[in-house]
Amino acid sequence: MAKVTVENLTKKYGKTTAVRNISFDLEDNEFFVLFGPAGAGKTTILNMIAGIGDPDEGRICFDGQSMNFIESSKRNVAMVFENYALYPHLTIYENIASSMRTKAHREPEEVIDREVKRIASLLRLEGLLDRKPSQVSNGQKQRAALGRAMVRKPNIFLMDEPLAHLDAKLRNAMRKELKAMQDKLQTTTLYVTHDYAEAMSLGDRIAVIHQGEICQIGTAEEVYNMPATEFVARMFGDSEINILQGVLRREDSTLKLVLPLSNRSYELPRHTAEVLEASGRKQVDVGLRSSAVRYSWRPEEGYVKGTVYTMEPLGNKVELTVKTEGGAVRLMVPVTETPDVDETIYLAFDVSGGIYFDSDSKEYIVCQKETAGKEGKR
Amino acid sequence: MKELTKKPLLVRIRPWLILLPTLVVTLGILYPFATAIYYSFTDYSLKSTAYEFVGIKNWVEMFTGKEFWHSLGVTLKYAVLATALEMILGMVIALTLNTEKRWAGILKVILIFPLMVAPVIAVLLWSLMTNTSIGILEKFLNLFGVYAFPWWAASSTALFSVVMIDVWVNTPFVLLLVLAGLQGLPKSPYEAARIDGGSAWFTFKTLTLPLLKPVLLIALIFRIVSTVQEFSIIYATTKGGPGDTLMNLSLSAYMDGYTYSSIGRAIPQILVLWILINVITKKLVGAWLKAKSAN
Amino acid sequence: MEQKKRGEKALMLAGKVLLVFYTLFAVFPLIWMIIIAFKGDSQMYDTLFIFHPTLANFKNVLTKGSYVKAFVSNLIISGGAVLVSVLVGVPAAYALARYEFKHKEGVAFTILSFKFAPEILIIIPVFTIFQKLKLYDTYFGMIWIYQFIGLPLLIWVLRGYFEDIPVEMERAAELDGYSKREIFFKMLIPLIRPGLVAAALLSFIFCWNNFTFGLMLCGFKIQTITVSALTYISTSTIHYGQMAVVSVIAIIPEIIMCLCIQKHLVRGLSFGAVKG
Repeated sequence: MAKVTVENLTKKYGKTTAVRNISFDLEDNEFFVLFGPAGAGKTTILNMIAGIGDPDEGRICFDGQSMNFIESSKRNVAMVFENYALYPHLTIYENIASSMRTKAHREPEEVIDREVKRIASLLRLEGLLDRKPSQVSNGQKQRAALGRAMVRKPNIFLMDEPLAHLDAKLRNAMRKELKAMQDKLQTTTLYVTHDYAEAMSLGDRIAVIHQGEICQIGTAEEVYNMPATEFVARMFGDSEINILQGVLRREDSTLKLVLPLSNRSYELPRHTAEVLEASGRKQVDVGLRSSAVRYSWRPEEGYVKGTVYTMEPLGNKVELTVKTEGGAVRLMVPVTETPDVDETIYLAFDVSGGIYFDSDSKEYIVCQKETAGKEGKR
Repeated sequence: MKELTKKPLLVRIRPWLILLPTLVVTLGILYPFATAIYYSFTDYSLKSTAYEFVGIKNWVEMFTGKEFWHSLGVTLKYAVLATALEMILGMVIALTLNTEKRWAGILKVILIFPLMVAPVIAVLLWSLMTNTSIGILEKFLNLFGVYAFPWWAASSTALFSVVMIDVWVNTPFVLLLVLAGLQGLPKSPYEAARIDGGSAWFTFKTLTLPLLKPVLLIALIFRIVSTVQEFSIIYATTKGGPGDTLMNLSLSAYMDGYTYSSIGRAIPQILVLWILINVITKKLVGAWLKAKSAN
Repeated sequence: MEQKKRGEKALMLAGKVLLVFYTLFAVFPLIWMIIIAFKGDSQMYDTLFIFHPTLANFKNVLTKGSYVKAFVSNLIISGGAVLVSVLVGVPAAYALARYEFKHKEGVAFTILSFKFAPEILIIIPVFTIFQKLKLYDTYFGMIWIYQFIGLPLLIWVLRGYFEDIPVEMERAAELDGYSKREIFFKMLIPLIRPGLVAAALLSFIFCWNNFTFGLMLCGFKIQTITVSALTYISTSTIHYGQMAVVSVIAIIPEIIMCLCIQKHLVRGLSFGAVKG
C-alpha cells in the first residue's frame, strides 16, 4: 500500500470545470471517502488517480512518485466500478483470476487457484465460480467485482459507488461486510459515494465535494457535528437539517438569539455566545437537527404553534414537516405518534444544540459540541 | 523516473497508428478518384497511352448532346420506379408478416433469400422464368392467350421487366429493415391507443408511420443510392437496350469508356451521377438524423 | 363501428392475399431453378413439374467449360478480400469507436462514401492504373479492389459493436494490468466475435455477388462467377438445365451463409444504422 498525494488537481471538459484545484492526502491504510451529490466531480477525481483521465493541472503522487500521464496499466491500482465492469465472456473464477494472468502480475496457476478460492470464501462466492456474470444476481456481481480488486496488492483501492445499484437491504449488508473487511485487510482505499450513511460508517476521513471543490475534509463526527458550510450540514443526516435565520440581540449584557418563529429570545451557551460576540455579526443562520426540536400537542410555555404539513414514516420513526408562521420545520417523532395532517402542534428549539453559520458566506462559526467535544479540533 | 509533462508521443498518435492500414488502402482509392476528375478534361482513351488536355470540351459536349439528357431521364425513371415499388411492397409485406405466428416466422426467413442472390444470377433465373420455350411465365400467359411476351426484348416492356428483377432481388432488404423497425416499436403507446379505441388505420397513420420513419429513411437511402447507379441487372439483360431504352448514366459511361474507348467522355457522366448521389444522400441523411432525434 | 370493423377485416384479407402472391413471386424462381437443374434436355419442353430427375446438367457444368475455375477464382478473390478488410478494418473500427481525435467523423464518412460512390467512377481510373502497374487480371489486383466492397461495411458495423461494450470493462482490464494488445485480443475480440463473423460473411456475400469489378478489371486469366454466368445467358444456349445449375451453384453457399447470420443481418445490411 502506498501513500497517495493529490495536489491542486484541476480538470476541464471544454468550458466547464469538473474539478477545481483539489488537494488531499491519503495516509497508508486509510479508508478515505469522497462524498458529494451526483455530478460533483467525485468520479472524475477517481478516474484521474486510476489514470483513466489526465488532469489539466496539478499532480498525483504515489509514495512521492508523480503518476501524471503514466498509463493506468502501469500504476498498479485496483478499481471497483459502479457498473461492475466484469468481463462478460469469462466466468466469475476467471474474472477474479484475471489480474494474475497478465504479464504485469503473473502468478503460477496454484497460487491463482488458492487466491481465488480464498477471496471467494471471504465474499461467499464459492458456488458461483463457474458461472458467467450474466448468470448471477446484482449483489453477486458486486461481490465478484470486489473480489477481482481484492486479490491484488495494489498501491490503492479505488471504489466508485460500488453499492449504488444494490437494493437497500443488500446495500446495508454489503456496507457492514466492507467495513469488516477493511478492518481485517488494512488497505489504502479511496471510496466514492453519494450516500451519507455509507460515507459516515466506512470513512476514516470524509472529503465533501461540491461543484468540483472540496468543502471539508474530516472524520464522520467532524463533518456531522461541525460542518464547514451549510451545504455540508444539509448533506448529512436522515432528516435534512433545519436552517433558521436568527437575529442576535444584547439583553442584560448577554448575547441572546431571537428566532423568527417566536419573539422569544433564547439564552446561548457561554462559549457559543463568546464566539458569536467576537464575530461581530447581528444575523446568523442556525442549523437545528431534528434532535434539537422538541414538540408537544398542547400549548406550553415557550413553544411555537404550527400545523402538521406532511408525514413520512421511516421505520421506527416518522419525519414530520411542520408549517409555522416563520417557515417549515422538520422533526422526528416516534412511530407511536399518529397525528393527522393539519393537526396543531407546538414546537420548542434547543438552540444550544444548534450549529451557527455566517448568514452571508454560509460558513461555519461555532457550535456547542465544539467545547463539549474534547479539544474541539478543526 | 522523470515526471512526465504530457502524454508520450506514441500514446497521443495511437488512434492514427491503429487507423493507418485503413488509411493506406483508402488512399489507394482516393488517388484514382482524383485522377478521374483530371481525365474528364483530357481526350484519354483506352486505345493509346498518349493523351492531351482538352479543357472543358467533354463537359460542353455532354451537356449539349441529347444522349446525356436521355440517360439522366432513364436513370431517374428507373431509380424512382424501382425504389417506390420496393419501398411500398416491402412495407406492406412487413406489416402483414408482423405477427408471432409460426408461418410468419418461417416466411421471415425464406423471403430474405432473393436478397442474397447476385443480380446477374437473378437475371439468369428470370431468363429461365420468362423463356418463350420453357419458361413457366410464358406457359402461364398462354392461358390468357398471350404468346411470346417479349419482356426486356421490346422497348415498351423493357423498363417494367428489368425493374421487376430489381424488385425481386431488393424488396427483401426493405422488408427486413421494416420488420426490425416494427419489432423495436415501444409497446405502451399502442396499449394507450387501443384503450382510446382508435381504428387500425388511425393507429398506423399517427403512431406506426412516424415511429418507423428513421428505419424507412435508412431503407430509402440505401435503395435510392443503389438504383440510381444500377448497372449489373441492366447490363446482364439488355446492355442498355433495346436501342437506348435503358441506357442510364452508368451504362452510358461504360459504353463510352469501354466499348468506344473514350474515358474523357465517360467520366463527366459518372461525375454527374456522383454529384446526384451526394445531393440525395445529404438530404436524406439530414432527414434521418432529424427523425431519429425526434423519436 | 360495425362498418369500420368490416373495413379493417377487408384490409387484413387484402394483405394476406398480397402476401401469398408476393411469396410466390419471391420463392418460385428459386424453386423453378431447382426443377430445371434436374431436368434433362429432352424433358424441358413438354413437362412442368413431373419428370425423371437427372444429374446430367451438373455433370456437364462441372466437367465442361470454365465454371468450376470461375468458382475457385471467386472463392480466392472474395476470401482474400474479406481477409484483408478484416485485418485492416477491425482495428480501424476500434479506433473510431473508442478514441476522440481530430477529423474522426471525417475519416469515418470518407470510408462510408466508398459504399455510395458509383462503382464505375472508381473502376475507370483504377483500370488505367492497373494497366500501368500490371495488376490487371491478377489476383493481387482483384483482392485489393474487392476489399473496398467489404471495408466500409465492416468498419461501420463493427464500430457499433465496439461501442456496445462498456468502456469501463476495458478500463478494468487496463487496471488489471493487461496491455492494449492483450485487451484487444483477449477481451474485445471474443465479445464482438458474433458481429465480426456476421459482418465478414456479409462482406463475403457482397464480394461474391459483385459483377462490375470482375467484368472490367479481369477476364482472360481470371474470371469471376458472375461474369462466367453471364456467358450462359448471352450464348443463346438451349442448355437451360446448365443455366439452372450455374445459378444453383452460385446461390446455395450464400443462402447457407445467410441462415448462419440471420440475427445480425439487419444490423449488417444497414451498416449499423438499424440495430435489429
